Amino acid sequence: MQSNSNFDPKIIEEILKFSKNVIEAPKFVSAPDEISLEVTPHKVVQQIDKTRLLYYKSINKTKHKTPLLISYALINRYHILDIHPEKSWVRNLLEQGFEVYMLDWGTPTSMDKYLDFDDYVNGYLESSVEYIKNQSSTEQISLQGYCTGATIATAYAALHPENVKNYIATAPVIDGWKDTTVISNLAKHMDADKMVETIGNMPPEFMYYCFSVLKPFEQGFEKYVKFFKNIDDKKYVDNFLRVEKWLGDTPPIPGELFKQWIKDIYQKNLLIQNKMYVGDELIDLRKINMPIFTQVAVGDHLVSPECSMPLHYAVGSEDKTLKIYPTGHVGMIASSFSQKKILPEMGQWLAQRS
Amino acid sequence: MQSKSSKDSAESPTDITEYYKHLSLFWTDIIHLMSSKPQALTSIGPMRAFAANSKKIAVELIEINENLLGFNQCITEYYKQLSDTWGISQKKVNQKVPEIPHDVEQIESVKRIWIDIFDNDFTELFDSKKFGANYGNLVSKELELTKHWNNIANVILQSVNLPSKEEVDEVYKEIHSLKKRVSKLELELKKEKRKNAK
Repeated sequence: MQSNSNFDPKIIEEILKFSKNVIEAPKFVSAPDEISLEVTPHKVVQQIDKTRLLYYKSINKTKHKTPLLISYALINRYHILDIHPEKSWVRNLLEQGFEVYMLDWGTPTSMDKYLDFDDYVNGYLESSVEYIKNQSSTEQISLQGYCTGATIATAYAALHPENVKNYIATAPVIDGWKDTTVISNLAKHMDADKMVETIGNMPPEFMYYCFSVLKPFEQGFEKYVKFFKNIDDKKYVDNFLRVEKWLGDTPPIPGELFKQWIKDIYQKNLLIQNKMYVGDELIDLRKINMPIFTQVAVGDHLVSPECSMPLHYAVGSEDKTLKIYPTGHVGMIASSFSQKKILPEMGQWLAQRS
Repeated sequence: MQSKSSKDSAESPTDITEYYKHLSLFWTDIIHLMSSKPQALTSIGPMRAFAANSKKIAVELIEINENLLGFNQCITEYYKQLSDTWGISQKKVNQKVPEIPHDVEQIESVKRIWIDIFDNDFTELFDSKKFGANYGNLVSKELELTKHWNNIANVILQSVNLPSKEEVDEVYKEIHSLKKRVSKLELELKKEKRKNAK
């Protein structure tokens, strides 16, 4: 680089303004700990071990008959689906007339290290479905799974198709070998047996490391520069802090579940080959015969579209829709774009079948 | 066992570790045997238990050294990969931005170039097989160190008559299995009740 003497004094002005924003930020902005991520009112209707089934009542006079159960991911917490009144996935669905239930997987402790796929699919998810069927006097429910929660939901839909009227798979982790993300590269080289044997559950710190290698300079530097530059913009700051708080809150993953996840999906890629077992039962994706709506995002750097899309082609359903959106993993569920485009499309699809 | 150092000056780190392991075990055992008789008359408390198990700690500490060697190799490689990528990216930035920016717009565009080049290059690195393999080894070595640390903690726990990690894990496993059976029965019962109510 060569120096040039034509130095713009505005640079100093910008630096001073930025420094002032950094110094004064605590005066105007809440600490992440002071922000509540509970946005839409809900009731805890069932609790088994650490998992909770949350119920959100429809706020639209026209109600659809079939309730929707959301199986949230195992990474981070369910709050991202209800992160902000204007970007809430749940609220949008309530406004469209759906009764929404959501599974909060809770925070596993060392005692839960033996929880496996079977416990999640045939235990927690199955109990939630049974509860909803009882409460709503229906024989079937609509099921939506997001990210790793969609893998659990996919296994459920394959094992219990009689209980699922419609299935929505949002960025599901399905074909581990086709996943082109950094996460899958790390997962493929991991000794999951040793990790579980030595430390039990997969620690949150490991997930934070995985997050930190995703666009490290944009996410680790530029994001925070933008935050301090926009410290006067209340809406921006509020949204930023909510998402940051959500990002910093990931529970451990039970050891046995994590081990099966890494080995069966990323290393051996058994799920898409219809060779994966949950408990004693074989998951055959061809047994998914209900209407299915698969949503993937082109810019998803956590679960690449190549990893999710094979589900669309592997299921036995005749009524199937695949939608590819120009957004990212989080943008798909918590953004203005999801409110304007993704949710209306999904709601329409679901309403026609509910 | 004889020291081999006089015979072979180019011993491998494993040989040296083995030698010191033997040396340490020899003296720990001898001292333990020499002192156990008078101790046995007077003590059944934690210090007695600790003394009896202290040999295990010595073994763990020696083996930690072996793992540290592997761990250091992996972590050195890890930082080398990061610093090499940094160097390459910085060169690319320097080529693309030959002049020092002198107004706000230029600073913004230089920053954009810097972030894009660095993000691309580092993502390429994190996506590569060599990074994945080394990172996998690094975590594995770290877990081996943790394992030794757990084993040392187990000796201390046993000296105060507390259950070891393995014993606690067995209890967790049993609880998990019982809970699973009860949950399945409860679920079946609910389904039956529902069926009968129709």
